[in-house]
Amino acid sequence: MSRIQILSHEDDGRARQIEQALKAKGKPASVRVVDVYTSENTKAQSLEFVDSLTNPVTQMPLSCHPERSEGSHGVEGGPSSQAPQDDICDVDFDWALEIGYLPGVTDNVGHTASELLKLTCHPERSEGSHAIKPGDPSVAPLPQDDSTECYSARLLLIKGKVDKADIESLASELSNKLIQRASIKSHDAFTKDGGMETIIPKVVLDNKGAVADDIDLNVSDEELQIIGTQGIADADGTRRGPLGMSLLYMQAVKDYFAKEGRPAKDIELETLAQTWSEHCKHTIFASPIDDVKDGIFKHYIRRATVDIRKKRGKDDICVSVFSDDSGGIIFDDKHLITHKVETHNSPSALDPFGGSITGIVGVNRDCIAFGMGAKPVINIYGFCLADPRTKPEYYRDKAKTNAILSPETIMNGVVRGVEVGGNCSGIPTPQGFVYFDDRFVGKPLVFVGTVGLIPREINNKPSHEKGTNPGDKILMVGGRVGRDGIHGATFSSVVLDENSPATAVQIGDPITQKKFSDVIIKEIRDQGLYTAMTDNGAGGLSSSVGELAEGSGGFHIELDKVPLKYPGMAPWEIWISESQERMSIAVPPENTEKMIELFASRGVEATVIGEFTDTGRAHATWHGETVMDMDMDFLHGGLPETPLKTTYTQGGEAEPDLPEPKDYGQALKDMLGQPNICSKEFISTQYDHNVQGSAVLGPLQGPGRVYADASVTKPVLTSSKGVVLSQGLAPRYSDIDTGAMAAAALDMAVRNAVAAGANFHHLAILDNFCWCSSDDPERLGQLKRAAEAIYDLSVLYETPFISGKDSMFNDFKGYDADGAAVNISVPPTLLVSSIGVIPDVEQSISLAPKAPGDLIYILGETKNELGASEYYDMNGALGQNIPQINGAKNLELYKLYSQAARQNLIASALSISLGGLGVALAKKAIAGQMGMDVDLSGLDLRPDKLLFSESLGRVLVTVTPTNQKEFEKNFGDFAQKIGQTTSDNKLNINKILEVNINAIEEAYKAPLKDY
Amino acid sequence: MSAKVLVLSGYGLNCEEETLFAFEHVGLTGSIRHINDLIYNPKELDDTQILVVPGGFSYGDDTGSGNAFAQKMRLSLWDHLKTFVERDTLTLGICNGCQILTNLGLVPAPDKNYGQRSVAVTHNLTARYQCRWVDLKVGASNSPWLSNINTMHIPVAHGEGRFMMEQETLDAIQNQIAFQYCHPEQSEGSPDSRGDSSASPQNDTIEPANNEFPFNPNGSMNDIAGITDQSGRVLALMPHPERGMFTWQRDDYDRLKDKAQRDGATLPEESDGMALFKNAAEYFEVAKRKRA
Repeated sequence: MSRIQILSHEDDGRARQIEQALKAKGKPASVRVVDVYTSENTKAQSLEFVDSLTNPVTQMPLSCHPERSEGSHGVEGGPSSQAPQDDICDVDFDWALEIGYLPGVTDNVGHTASELLKLTCHPERSEGSHAIKPGDPSVAPLPQDDSTECYSARLLLIKGKVDKADIESLASELSNKLIQRASIKSHDAFTKDGGMETIIPKVVLDNKGAVADDIDLNVSDEELQIIGTQGIADADGTRRGPLGMSLLYMQAVKDYFAKEGRPAKDIELETLAQTWSEHCKHTIFASPIDDVKDGIFKHYIRRATVDIRKKRGKDDICVSVFSDDSGGIIFDDKHLITHKVETHNSPSALDPFGGSITGIVGVNRDCIAFGMGAKPVINIYGFCLADPRTKPEYYRDKAKTNAILSPETIMNGVVRGVEVGGNCSGIPTPQGFVYFDDRFVGKPLVFVGTVGLIPREINNKPSHEKGTNPGDKILMVGGRVGRDGIHGATFSSVVLDENSPATAVQIGDPITQKKFSDVIIKEIRDQGLYTAMTDNGAGGLSSSVGELAEGSGGFHIELDKVPLKYPGMAPWEIWISESQERMSIAVPPENTEKMIELFASRGVEATVIGEFTDTGRAHATWHGETVMDMDMDFLHGGLPETPLKTTYTQGGEAEPDLPEPKDYGQALKDMLGQPNICSKEFISTQYDHNVQGSAVLGPLQGPGRVYADASVTKPVLTSSKGVVLSQGLAPRYSDIDTGAMAAAALDMAVRNAVAAGANFHHLAILDNFCWCSSDDPERLGQLKRAAEAIYDLSVLYETPFISGKDSMFNDFKGYDADGAAVNISVPPTLLVSSIGVIPDVEQSISLAPKAPGDLIYILGETKNELGASEYYDMNGALGQNIPQINGAKNLELYKLYSQAARQNLIASALSISLGGLGVALAKKAIAGQMGMDVDLSGLDLRPDKLLFSESLGRVLVTVTPTNQKEFEKNFGDFAQKIGQTTSDNKLNINKILEVNINAIEEAYKAPLKDY
Repeated sequence: MSAKVLVLSGYGLNCEEETLFAFEHVGLTGSIRHINDLIYNPKELDDTQILVVPGGFSYGDDTGSGNAFAQKMRLSLWDHLKTFVERDTLTLGICNGCQILTNLGLVPAPDKNYGQRSVAVTHNLTARYQCRWVDLKVGASNSPWLSNINTMHIPVAHGEGRFMMEQETLDAIQNQIAFQYCHPEQSEGSPDSRGDSSASPQNDTIEPANNEFPFNPNGSMNDIAGITDQSGRVLALMPHPERGMFTWQRDDYDRLKDKAQRDGATLPEESDGMALFKNAAEYFEVAKRKRA
């Protein structure tokens, strides 16, 4: 075994960050970072390999007392060219903390080290090696056999006044025990042991499970129910993990196999569980609900789009809606743009980094899989979290041994996951949001979305059309299959509790994905070599192959052909594993060889694992033996209908009788510091928002860098057109009325995009419902009300839904600090994402005022609507007067606005949302670093209500005086002049407040600036 | 112009398209070449005049940004690369490409000792990825890439952009510093008052960043943002000129276009970053004229 340790220079950015974190806790210490690589290969000790891992300017390799090691440490007995190394114990430290991965967890650094080991010591095995021409199948990555596999870890050597408890606490902050190991040694123990242990986290599975078992379904309903909820029992009685199947479903399965006249195989049951899961079939949205026989999706969401397309006729912008992995609309004469927004909530509660990175690279695949393959051009994000500055105490178990992750850990993890996933993939992330509410403590919501670009025609055929033909081979492309992510689809459809499976967690490998994404989009797509493709997400192959096979009418798969990360997996595990970074592609037989060669020459593994048929059967073999043989119709349509019933109760309280603030300046500053209002700049600067060179209007606008809620991107560098993106949500409004919540989300998403300059007539939307306790008729009633509201509003605005997703059980069931059972449900949340086109990016409108002396107008009406507002919340009240939508009036305003934007009549614009007019005025002043003189005497409301009402349909704009006449003529009664910008540094609202711009900037930026 | 540009791709490099676009915009022709294809056919370098390693995340920055890709190039292409840079050619590494060129020892290579790593580009002092616009002034290098450039306002986007080296290396490469981070023009030390792109102040009136964040976004030694080899023909820089080559890409585009609209003026299409690519085109045109 080899253990390589590379010590970094004491002035290391990573070390500094940890030192700062320790210092912030009053534990000053110095930290040295050591990168650790382990391998079973003795050549890993060679000078060439160690050199390839060491930057001689800032790093040096270290030994660890070879004379005291027992052969497994250090370089003793290594090849003669072994690297000269200094002794690690010469480093002055008190504590050693090593963090590495558990077996089977994706280790990207380890994989890269393996590649370097091949390059330095086995050049014949490296990808694209000299001796081999591109396209030669032998260029394919070798099976990751032991001889070149490397594993990474990080060792921290810490010196300072810290005790073991401090190091343990640091370890828990820096690692997640679900996926990582942390070992701690004092300097003495370290010296005595000759360093840290050499750990090879290799997966070793016994082969017991490597067959398909018969499952007896001729059992009582009670037993069926247990199988459905806890999973299939192994011989020793342990359960394999939840199937998430109701008794009704289990009975349908039992009946089916009775008809087939044989017992079910485990893999068949697992397949049905995946395919019928809420996650995959969206059963709640599909089921009859009250008198709505066609269900919520068809009756409200899809019908809205159908109605709008009919009404728009030849002006229809939709091209591919609800039928593909993303939705697609027209961009220009030559291109479509696609959009898809996903959630990755449950995994993010357990492993925030892994959950969010797999979320973002997963939704990238939904883009790549659109039609013949769209190029990902923009990522977006959204996080609903508990306040990271709070430290609530909750546990998954009654014994209080299994604490939930802290809000800060969750925030840091999900922010970083999208960062690494997006940045590594070379996709700009210019837009997103963070929304805080304590009820997201046990189940954060992680929204990730990807916009794609694709020519409208490829090889003279519409690019969005695809379909498998009988005889097409099934090509699996990308990463290999392991046990990671088993039961992800069924798991996300159930409530998180202490039995939630750790195998549901995966870590993304964006570079593996980037490699095949580039081959598909930039090299293979335009050659017309394949007929259809989809990504391997929830449910793994069982979903992707099952879905593609709906085209041809059946499939045959040879599960023993699927490349594995390690031997010993059972057929059912291979079939439903959600190991990341894989696509399934349907390829006519004559093209498979060419495809495999092309992929291989780019370092991507592609393997034929079966073929599509027209037999009407879902058929799988394992080393020649049939392990699955089901009717396709039953697989996709056999799930029994579950009619749903709803009840509905309006929420809210009486309007509060709040005293008027004595100091309005202070009240405004307090509002700006509210977590939902304050700046999230720390996220924007970590996300590469200008890669691809396409950014026009970014996440931080104006010299004062205000966090914006819309972005403009130019995905085709030679076209003047741009893509405008925004999002809208108002979860807390659900406490009063989910219909008002949903309408507000839709209005915000549309209004934000229109305000930034999108053509109102070239705008589509996406829905993401994140509900809770969706087996409760009251929650279903709230759901139906929300769906009704957005049907009405979208049809009125003529903004079609093009794609959507739902996540119905965002509940946390656990125990509080006293061991009492708690059930925390997220507020029912609808995220509406908008995607629009701006005819010329020169017409884009940023939120920052441009020049002193410009006129300030408010468009739209401000009413006494503070129910569930940020202002009431800050004052501990909920109230009743929820903002009511006036769709007809808004429609008229947005049309006029779109017209004004085409004529460049508006110098700056900010749509007024959470925090109301007062917050919007402050944000504009901060963004422009410009004073404002405002007089609101024309608006008849008590000043705090006037400033902080969240009435919908409003936009705050500035206009250059030379445009005043035309502007006023355009907007008529919709526009009310309320002041002008000034060259001083004060926001002055006549008779209400006067504040210094620096002071409100500080209030706005300080709360989260240290994250 | 006949100079041929080769922009590398593969293994997580990701800025190849917009980078090639920049060269094509200034009239050069070229192609994107996957590193494995170049390894298979390294002779392609013989009729290439400009080799570009674009930005990206090769190998996900694992084992140090740019390291693994540089090792791959070193082990598979070294003799060809050395011959290439010793010819009268231009080489450019942007961001991840910069990290790759320094790991290959193609820069700074004092004493023309190509292949020796003497500079590290490592983790930002903030230990955070930084995507933000910065101001640069041209250093003492007499690189053809830098002709007639004084300052540039272009973005950085990296997690590991901090140049580190021994003091003696720093002393030795003073004439190979291509770019240094500085305060914005006409500033009082505030990031808020950016000048417009038409201003061209004297280099010596520009206030250096003096390692102050965010002007120097990564804690780089001596505010270094880019270096060249001794000949000046090999340039490695962390900021992205291809993301600041058009006015519409700028972070202050909204203000510039608003001002132009008020003044009835037309905005220039090009912005600071384009100058670098124009210089490359110019270099070969000049070279061609000399031969004629």
